[in-house]
Amino acid sequence: MRTRDIDRKLRDADRFSAREMERLELGPATAALAEAIVAEPAAAAATEAAAPPWPTAERRRRGLLGVAGFAAAAVVAAIVLLVGGGSSQSPSHAYGAELVRFAESTPLLLLEGPGWRVQNVTQYKNREGLEGSMEFVTGKPIPYETVRISGSPTKPRQSGMFPPAVRQRRVELSWSHRSLAGEISMVREMAHPHGRRTIELPVLDTTATVDTRAEFYVNQGGPGNRQMVALWSEDGYTLRMNAAVPDLSAFEERLDWLTKVDPQTWLDAMPEKVVKAADHGATVREMLEGIPVPATFEPSRVPNEGLTTDRYQVGAAVTGTVSCLWLHQWGQARRTGARAAALEAEQAMATSKRWPILREMATDGAYPETVWELATDMRRGYWEWAGRKHPVLPRAEGLGCARLGIPVLLK
Amino acid sequence: MARNATAEEALPRELAEARFSRLYRDHEHEILRYALRRSAEPQDAADVVAETFLVAWRRLGEVPLDEEARLWLYATARRVLANHQRGIKRRTRLAERLRDELQRQLPLQPASDRPVLDALARMADADRELLMLVGMEELSPSEAARVLGISTVAARTRLHRARRRLRARLAEQSEGKPGNEIELGEVR
Repeated sequence: MRTRDIDRKLRDADRFSAREMERLELGPATAALAEAIVAEPAAAAATEAAAPPWPTAERRRRGLLGVAGFAAAAVVAAIVLLVGGGSSQSPSHAYGAELVRFAESTPLLLLEGPGWRVQNVTQYKNREGLEGSMEFVTGKPIPYETVRISGSPTKPRQSGMFPPAVRQRRVELSWSHRSLAGEISMVREMAHPHGRRTIELPVLDTTATVDTRAEFYVNQGGPGNRQMVALWSEDGYTLRMNAAVPDLSAFEERLDWLTKVDPQTWLDAMPEKVVKAADHGATVREMLEGIPVPATFEPSRVPNEGLTTDRYQVGAAVTGTVSCLWLHQWGQARRTGARAAALEAEQAMATSKRWPILREMATDGAYPETVWELATDMRRGYWEWAGRKHPVLPRAEGLGCARLGIPVLLK
Repeated sequence: MARNATAEEALPRELAEARFSRLYRDHEHEILRYALRRSAEPQDAADVVAETFLVAWRRLGEVPLDEEARLWLYATARRVLANHQRGIKRRTRLAERLRDELQRQLPLQPASDRPVLDALARMADADRELLMLVGMEELSPSEAARVLGISTVAARTRLHRARRRLRARLAEQSEGKPGNEIELGEVR
């Protein structure tokens, strides 16, 4: 019996449902009660049973952020709080319209599992429209996982993956407007070193296609440590839930915990490191501190899609723009033999290990690592994979230079 | 959440009456249903409703103005009910008419004619209250947490365990096993 079946049974057993109560004729009696109450003196009696001191939205949010802040501290420093989004003047919403719009541009889903919370949320635009993802965790915060691949390209082996006890404390939920059939087909075509087994499971008010053997690497997973992916459509979104679990029943349980909520509840669950769209400019200026920029750089070159997103994403856009401009200069200089310009780019990128925002982001994702590896490659003039040397610039596209409007490769 | 005055800042009478009248109209049915679900006799529920709204009237400055008002009223009704259950049962004259109507229109029902209510009745108070707030009052776990004065995470954890216990009780019932022991539930 699933969670919603329990709730439905409770609702069905309710002898005092709204429909049952409609049969009663209590209007005159309740009106008489209201009249009798307002005829009473309006002073509070010392012994009466009022609700305990009711926290204001501001205090409540700060309390919430206190918990989230603990979680976020190990992951990333935070500067922008949701507090600014709330409007204490508004009688109908505790959050500003901008944040409510942000919430409403997502599927408004939460993983209401015992002790689970949102660790991260982000949105991004692409050709198909607005996409986003959320990460739910339980227990200690889980930093970004950096998996290293070795072995041959046809039989890669992973290392650096967190142990199952950590990975099973995390659930990723993403949404897009891509076709469900396309997503299912893509999942089916992925490597399945432990064999492929796809089933269907109920989720929310629909059915999900679940890949129960979604491990990528030959030395990943096995009994008691499975990787599973569920794909389904709901409210115009294609949704994907990805989780490491001990077995299928644990995955079913996580699917069952997914709950549709209202924007207020969804925003209440957000961690504090969400950067509001309105604070984008100030955040970019702060992140540029300590970063040498080329003559072609302007802060306006950092893309601002007007989205409320995670601080990590803004950091990637800032450092990506600067790095791509340096790489662009470096590529041109190498093609034309402008040695000084190439050296300037190499030296600027060599300082990237000290860029404050990259150091902050390092525990939260692999983007800084990519920048640092490229800085090393620039000095060497090549990068190495499977014992062979490869040109640097194609790899630089891994920073998303073309998407940032700074293509580094000649067409 | 907006709040216009504290308890110490008296509102002009007309404004207070208008605000109370709106509060009462918006939530009387919800609070009555809340009280009926938890009262042994329908007339007890009339007293709980009367006391809850009397508290709201006397402390109007403390009642949130937005959708939180409903949660504030549930939290207050919960305290009133707890006093009733501790034996501090008051037969307020304010509720006379409502009490009579409920007694007339809602004759006392058998303890339970529904297995879910049977199972619920045998659960620990804390489990039962959380299950009812979510399953019958249809609050989200975070709203239920506000009513109970606990954190959302704690509410979710307790709710998960309470649902599991209820599920087990229902399974026991369907298998015909006795299950009359009272569970102690979570203490946090």
